[in-house]
Amino acid sequence: MTPAKINCAEKATIPSQVGSSSTKLVNPKTKAITCRGVKMVFTSGVERFQALKGIYLEVQKGDIHLLMGPSGSGKTTLMSILAGILTPTAGRVYLLGEEITSMSRSKLARFRAQNIGFIFQGFNLFPALTAAENVEVALNIKGIWGRSARKQAQLLLEQVGLGDKAMSLPRDLSGGEKQRVAIARALSGNPKLIMADEPTAALDSQKGHAVIELLRFLAKEKGCTVLMVTHDPRIKDVADRVVYIEDGLLHLESKE
Amino acid sequence: MASIARKNLFEDIPRFLVAQAGIMFAVSLVTIQTGIFDGFTRTSTTLINSSQADIWVSSDTMVHLGLTLPIPVSQLSQTQQVAGVERAEGLIFKTPLWRDSGGNIMSVVLIGFDPQGQLFTPTNITQGSMKALSEPYTIIVDQTDLHTLNLQQTGDVGEIASLPARLVGLTKGNHSIIANPFVFTSLESANAYGNSGLTSNLDCKLQKGSDGIKCTTTYSKSAPTDITTTAPTSVKPAPPVPKHLTGNDLITYILVRAKPSEDLQTLKHQIEAALPSTRAYTQAEMIEKTQTYWQQRTGIGFILGLGAAVGVIVGIVIVSQILYSSVSSHLKEFGTLKAMGASDWVIYGVIWEQALWMAVLGYLPSMVLCLGLAAWTSATQGILILITPTTAIAVFGLTVLMCVGSSIFAIQRVIRVDPAIVFKA
Repeated sequence: MTPAKINCAEKATIPSQVGSSSTKLVNPKTKAITCRGVKMVFTSGVERFQALKGIYLEVQKGDIHLLMGPSGSGKTTLMSILAGILTPTAGRVYLLGEEITSMSRSKLARFRAQNIGFIFQGFNLFPALTAAENVEVALNIKGIWGRSARKQAQLLLEQVGLGDKAMSLPRDLSGGEKQRVAIARALSGNPKLIMADEPTAALDSQKGHAVIELLRFLAKEKGCTVLMVTHDPRIKDVADRVVYIEDGLLHLESKE
Repeated sequence: MASIARKNLFEDIPRFLVAQAGIMFAVSLVTIQTGIFDGFTRTSTTLINSSQADIWVSSDTMVHLGLTLPIPVSQLSQTQQVAGVERAEGLIFKTPLWRDSGGNIMSVVLIGFDPQGQLFTPTNITQGSMKALSEPYTIIVDQTDLHTLNLQQTGDVGEIASLPARLVGLTKGNHSIIANPFVFTSLESANAYGNSGLTSNLDCKLQKGSDGIKCTTTYSKSAPTDITTTAPTSVKPAPPVPKHLTGNDLITYILVRAKPSEDLQTLKHQIEAALPSTRAYTQAEMIEKTQTYWQQRTGIGFILGLGAAVGVIVGIVIVSQILYSSVSSHLKEFGTLKAMGASDWVIYGVIWEQALWMAVLGYLPSMVLCLGLAAWTSATQGILILITPTTAIAVFGLTVLMCVGSSIFAIQRVIRVDPAIVFKA
């Protein structure tokens, strides 16, 4: 297993570490995720809050990478930036070798559509659409339409064990089933990156375990890189690396 | 794409129905107001359309069909002598008082024409015939005015200017929204009604310094006419038979049919040159002059247009609110679409599709409702609410524009959504 390189910045030494750390960083094109000196500041009126204080992170292709930390530590902000949903105040982010922080909005949207699958804590399924249609929408965004999209949606649902629930509305599905629909949706178009936000938080132990197994399968058998925000200690068992974020700074935790 | 817009719309039926009610209100208001305006415009020239004349000759003071000074009958024979004129007929247009059998009075529009003529015929005679108008003091009215005139059926009698008026026929579609009821009669009867209680005196003098003779017709009351009595007396002496029109009598218009292949503009000028103090109009010019008067010189066009504008504003407000609230309650879904890589145009497309569904589903029942209402008002009130295919298409376009335009606020809401909303449980 290739270890992920973690560059944890200290509050007082961020500027000097940026220079020294960057010289040690390998070419971003070989990594799934590379994050260099990312800072994020939120302002509200005259108030200013620095959510991220200089993040350095590298994730190998095919790894399951956990991002853990207490509430308000900056996990969601970092995940949003790594997914290209938020633009950082400073720093650069490379996904699959491409710098997304310099992309236009439309190019970034296309990049996300082609390369990233999302799994959300609240599932974020469209309540008015059936399970199959929820997957179909994601395929449509990736440019797959009509009969082909319907066929692929059905196949993906079968892969997550929900082939017989294709026509069910989310309200008729259990929490575990909803999350599996969300995973099927995330897998549409064979993304290279899966970004999962607390994928087991709303599930009981048994269903959570099934989802964990599915994610492990994706990484190890399908070659997906999985970046996951979680509080669930069970997932540590399948992760290649675990990083902690606290007060906007990353800390490496040894798995062993 | 699987129709998120359509399914979101039908997901919350009560909200959908409120939206549709608002759109239906707006569409109906615009359609009815436009229909009334178009119907009014058309009915204001119904009488002109009933004519087969090429040219209308009137006093040069004519403002519109119903507002002009009379011209002497002598000009009718002069017109017939103008080269290029194939046929000329007189038309009398007056607004005398009608008194029904109960003694109630009201103004009517009296149209006197030659029942044996060829240039003016009331459209859609549903009962009786034109020939019956050859009888003295007979009238034809529109069937929707029977109630207004307190008449029941043919044979019933009322009074015009204290002279009897016997109903001998009915028409359909000869009714104006703003004008008093039309009463069709012969030229002779119309002349008698118009001059009832008046005698005329023709005074001609040789003009000093010229070879011309100036004639003046003076009318004076020959006997007192009490129009305030409550009911016609049943023992009135029989009225005199209406006399044929002579040169001293007055008519309102001269209807002219030009000889085949005659240039109408040239003929108009020839007629105006032959008849002093007159103006000649082609049928189209007459229609335009009358319609322009009612549309521009009265507040009717403005008032009906204002009503339509209110309808559009109400529609925009309601659709905006519904779309905004719908988008707000599905904000996380739109955020998810954006996160998954949907372009801004895909997001706009979902909102616009929702707006289009609202437009179509609001428009169709509204149009059915309006067509039903128009048929009902035409049948029972004689009021023409004219909904032409052009009107229907234009209102549909306006409805789509209204609904799509209303989505601006909803789109603003989506544009400003915090992208990180997707990661919030």
